[in-house]
Amino acid sequence: MPLGTLDRSSPPFFKQGPSVSSKLLFFSALALFLMVADTRFRITQPVRSALSTALYPVQWLAMQPVRAVQGSGEYFTSLSQANSSSEEANKKLALQSLRAGQVEQLSQENNRLRKLLGLREQLATSVMAAEVLYDAADPYTRKIIIDKGLLQKVELGSPVLDELGVLGQVTRVHPLVSEVTLVIDRDLSIPVLNVRTGARSVAYGDPSGSSTHPGGGLELRFMGSNSDVLQGDLLTTSGVDGVYPPGLPVAKISRIERRAESAFAKIYCTPQALVGGARHVMVVTPVASQIPPRPETAVAVPTVKKSKSK
Amino acid sequence: MIMRTGQQLLLPANPLFIWSSLVAALLLNMLPLGRVPWMPDFLALVLVFWNVHQPLRVGIGVAFMFGLGMDVHQSSLLGQHALSYTALSFSAAVIHRRLLWFTVPSQAVQVLPLFVVAHAVELLIRMVAGGIFPGWVILLAPLLESILWPVVSIVLLVPQRRPPDPDQNRPL
Repeated sequence: MPLGTLDRSSPPFFKQGPSVSSKLLFFSALALFLMVADTRFRITQPVRSALSTALYPVQWLAMQPVRAVQGSGEYFTSLSQANSSSEEANKKLALQSLRAGQVEQLSQENNRLRKLLGLREQLATSVMAAEVLYDAADPYTRKIIIDKGLLQKVELGSPVLDELGVLGQVTRVHPLVSEVTLVIDRDLSIPVLNVRTGARSVAYGDPSGSSTHPGGGLELRFMGSNSDVLQGDLLTTSGVDGVYPPGLPVAKISRIERRAESAFAKIYCTPQALVGGARHVMVVTPVASQIPPRPETAVAVPTVKKSKSK
Repeated sequence: MIMRTGQQLLLPANPLFIWSSLVAALLLNMLPLGRVPWMPDFLALVLVFWNVHQPLRVGIGVAFMFGLGMDVHQSSLLGQHALSYTALSFSAAVIHRRLLWFTVPSQAVQVLPLFVVAHAVELLIRMVAGGIFPGWVILLAPLLESILWPVVSIVLLVPQRRPPDPDQNRPL
């Protein structure tokens, strides 16, 4: 047998390199530093962007088998199913065409009235279509990754919608992809408007699933227990935040718990968008750039009483 | 070199094979299967395997770099997987001389605490950072990884178990 056939070599005597424990210390410290830099100082975005661009080919490769299975599943759906779905779509279209005609007329009228009253023009929003690449596998957050990034001029903080309602907000932009935090994430909150009563409030993400919405939902916090909310009320974006255009459906109230011991009611809402399985989404540029800057408030200066020490 | 009696003499490991197996494990981890907390971490498994079998080639630094890759892919906290893989790799380096004296099924029991610690590190970090508790099904992940250990030890040692001199009867 020639030399070097077996996987048995004598360990190096002198060139040992740094010891295992020193390596452990170094890399743990580096990891902890990165974590603190990520959460507190938010300076790791360049590292993330570079790594994400480098990983993109591998991600693309990993996506292909799942895409193929999905694609073949769609290909083999029966003809009757396709027919019925197209019929349904036609019905929907007929229903909506009436409203669409009215909208044209109403928006013209609205514009004229606004001009008459001297109000600002309604904000125009530009929209970009994007495809959902995958659900971020991190079980501690609720995020999805979409296939548009810095190169397609996605802005940080843009609202993301699907055909049914608000899906979330862009929270990180990489060169080729961007990351969308869903409305059911604990860290996301949306100013909403109850369409029935016109009351404004804020909906917070509530990722813990319950019986009415197993995949997670939203919660209206700090609403008094005697406040006027009913099951089935539609909540839309209120437009006071400078991010979301007004009037987009966000959620429907699904359950209200009024408790005797608390001054606030617990209000659970079901998101309108498909937070579990959206495939195609729209990225809307935030309306903040079109809104005039906030007037500067005069800084309150304490008036100093003149001392009469003369 | 002292060895367990009956242990097979192995061919030298091909560095190309080591790296491609690591990348394949990364690919498996990146399959877009949605948010499944009990999904076993294939990359952690393969990293521990090579840390035990080839400690001179695959060490803590490699584990750290692959951890960063996982962090960026999952868009989790940057450094979360890196820290957990570093801990994993360190414990693998500590037990690697002892582990190979056991049979493969008992090795699986011995590596279980490693995976439990790795997942516990991740869970602890995310709970401190204010994440959502993923549910108790996450306990299944280290168990599944440990169950997969014999499979990985067979599959990844296949190239080293080939005969040193292939002939017509033994083409591989």
